[in-house]
Amino acid sequence: MNNNIKKWFAERIPFTFESFKAFGSEPVPHHLKHWWWALGGTPAYLFVIQMITGVLLLFYYIPAEDAAYNSVKNITENISYGWYIRSMHYWSANFMIMAVILHVFRVFFTGSYRKPREINWMVGTVILAVTLLLGFTGYSLIYEQLSYWGITVVTQLLDAIPLIGQFVGDFFRGGKTIGQGTLSRVFIFHVAILPGLLIVLLTIHIAYMHTQGITKFKFAGDKDKKSFPFVPDHLITEIIIALILMFLMTCLAIIFPVHLGSEANPQITPDHIKPEWYFYFAFRILKLTSDTGAVLIMGFGYMLLMFWPLIDSGFRQKKPESERSILIGIFMVLTLVFLTLWEALELLFSH
Amino acid sequence: MAAQTKKGDSKKSKENPKGKFSNFISEIINTFKGDTEVSLNMKKVIVATLSVVFFIALLMVAWIEGGRKRVLEFPDINVTSENEGCMNCHQVDTPGVVRQWKESAHAGEGVGCYNCHRAEEGEPDAFDHNGKWIATIVSPKDCATCHKTAADQFAASHHAKAGQILGSLDNVLAEVVEGHVIRDANGNKTKESAAAVSGCMQCHGSEVKLLENGKLDPATWPNTGIGRINPDGSKGACSSCHMRHKFSIAQARQPESCGKCHMGPDHPHIEIYMESKHGIAFVSDRPNMVEQMKKKQWWPGTDFEAGPTCSTCHMGATSDLEATHDVGARISWNLRPPVSEKIDTYEGREKPTWQERRKEMQSVCRKCHSDQWVGNWYIQFDDFIGLYNDKFGKPATKLYKFIREKGLITSVVTFDDKIEFTYFYLWHHEGRRARHGASMMGPDYAQWHGMYEVAERFYQEFVPELREIIEKNKRKGGTKRASALEAERMLNQILNSPMHKWFLGK
Repeated sequence: MNNNIKKWFAERIPFTFESFKAFGSEPVPHHLKHWWWALGGTPAYLFVIQMITGVLLLFYYIPAEDAAYNSVKNITENISYGWYIRSMHYWSANFMIMAVILHVFRVFFTGSYRKPREINWMVGTVILAVTLLLGFTGYSLIYEQLSYWGITVVTQLLDAIPLIGQFVGDFFRGGKTIGQGTLSRVFIFHVAILPGLLIVLLTIHIAYMHTQGITKFKFAGDKDKKSFPFVPDHLITEIIIALILMFLMTCLAIIFPVHLGSEANPQITPDHIKPEWYFYFAFRILKLTSDTGAVLIMGFGYMLLMFWPLIDSGFRQKKPESERSILIGIFMVLTLVFLTLWEALELLFSH
Repeated sequence: MAAQTKKGDSKKSKENPKGKFSNFISEIINTFKGDTEVSLNMKKVIVATLSVVFFIALLMVAWIEGGRKRVLEFPDINVTSENEGCMNCHQVDTPGVVRQWKESAHAGEGVGCYNCHRAEEGEPDAFDHNGKWIATIVSPKDCATCHKTAADQFAASHHAKAGQILGSLDNVLAEVVEGHVIRDANGNKTKESAAAVSGCMQCHGSEVKLLENGKLDPATWPNTGIGRINPDGSKGACSSCHMRHKFSIAQARQPESCGKCHMGPDHPHIEIYMESKHGIAFVSDRPNMVEQMKKKQWWPGTDFEAGPTCSTCHMGATSDLEATHDVGARISWNLRPPVSEKIDTYEGREKPTWQERRKEMQSVCRKCHSDQWVGNWYIQFDDFIGLYNDKFGKPATKLYKFIREKGLITSVVTFDDKIEFTYFYLWHHEGRRARHGASMMGPDYAQWHGMYEVAERFYQEFVPELREIIEKNKRKGGTKRASALEAERMLNQILNSPMHKWFLGK
């Protein structure tokens, strides 16, 4: 009987237990034994948390202009464990963005984007953009004063894109003013388009990684081993990181539960419009320049980031050992940190 | 590797019992330093420890969830044993009442039906209800058991005396001109005027009476008029503003709560408010304002910055002013009579003086406006009231009183002469609209619904009708003629004054 069942499944499922076992025994480069080099799975893990908590929030969220805010309020104040689920969604989003940014820094400063991984780097930069957009659209769904005015600022920026700005702005707003059309778009982007795109991009990213292998590093004192099996050693490491993250996020949810500002009101502009922390630098650039200036600077900056492997390759063609990329990278990171801190301090002292 | 570590550990632990623990600690430290590889066993220990820690954190979440107060759902309801019996029946008989109560702050505090409706045997409106003495009407005296300050302030207010309209001119309209009262041979009312019952009394308050069978007289109850005279002798109905049985503070602070009575042709306060900047600001930010209103502390400039409502300025606390249930306490002008008076000059109200009242109101204004703004606005307001008084209120009143006193029109009954309606419209409707429009920053009520109509009424109706009365009485001869000539002299003096001479083409 047992054999018959096994046979029935074996004939219908194109995978065998052995193939799963072989997948689990995938060799992991030895430098991943170091804790701080084992953070690669963190954003993916946080994305899973995002999806689970997101689906739970969807049970109660209503994407309607006159109901969105109150549905978030209902989740936060009335639904059993709503505050916890919403806080976990919020904190895991922040951690995910942080982890993705740190991952970009790590890959950049270790030169892991170099040949043959240029395309995977580009995929990674799109993942970064999608992650930030997920953050922005999620923030906008709350439909509180700050998020409402956040959408207003962002759609004004879209309007300022040369040539196609008006079309892009109108498309995103669903017309000339922020309203139900905008909320519907933000909702569809946040719960369907962007997560779907992220899953596709992550699959490509990981498939590339599998095909090309992880860049290997060797540290002083490392034993002369080339690799170790994924299961169980690295899997347990990832479980430890996951547990630490869950604990940390739960603590943050308890100590700093996610709050809810006042309901969106198109008639009243808040004294201080403030985006989420990961857009502080962009907001500062906007304040220092103009809508068009900010769009051009950020567009140019993003293109530089995406195509950096090609620029770096240009540097290294002239001088093979050139570390110019590192110096430029340090300068860019310091600039971003400076702009972020500038904005943060101004907001802090303006309250 | 892992097996080696384990062997080494067990050897050391045999030699030194502390060895295993210290090795464990140093392994953890090295782990975080990143100096050494972490053994599989150590990882399992870490996973187990973290699982326990995370589980404790989840327990903490569950504990917080358990102690959390829901905002929109019914608050924690505390049904005391003495109220349980009431609940059992009224959940079925009057479910709306019970539901309202469940949403009230009273429910959370364990204040139930019996706490408010209890009565002592022998009280005028007490009746035995399933073995308990109950009174249907909960009067301010009952509310004062817990809300003494509010009840005392209310008792001192003009609102508490609103039921005294029963002898006023307005009541002649509702009881005689518009309606009809049936009286017995001794002059006692046997049937109230329906116009007064459904109209005047619903705002001003009825004098609640009991039928011979002890039931409440339908001519006097249901009634939540603010100056209701209750069977226990107290005056007022808290539920006039704090609708039963939820008694929501946010509901009482809504402008519409006042608008139930403060509206219409004679005192369109809610309409004027909605026309004013205050009203516009409130409506523009209403969802936020309603949220903020739910909190006990609701100070302008501190807890909200958008549009104030009636209660903000007339009753509300600020960072340096106590709240009051004496709604007229901050009013410096009485804008109701034919000629406006500073408020301490009538009804023997010497204290607080109008200046003290104004100072309190101005301190509220200053939470959002500058000293100069407030000072200048009061100059504009005083000038407007002065203009109404001097140009129309005083002359019209002087002339009307004279012709009535001298018998040029009938003085026994009111509203039988056309000029009496004309005069009434002039001060009671248009004159009040103008003055209230100016007082509450409603420009259209100050002008087109106000002074324009006062002027039209005065020049096009009052003066011609008065001239007609004068001419009619001049023809009669005797004292009537003399009085008519005097009235003519007074009218000419007024019309030749700088304010009115334009009317004579001068």
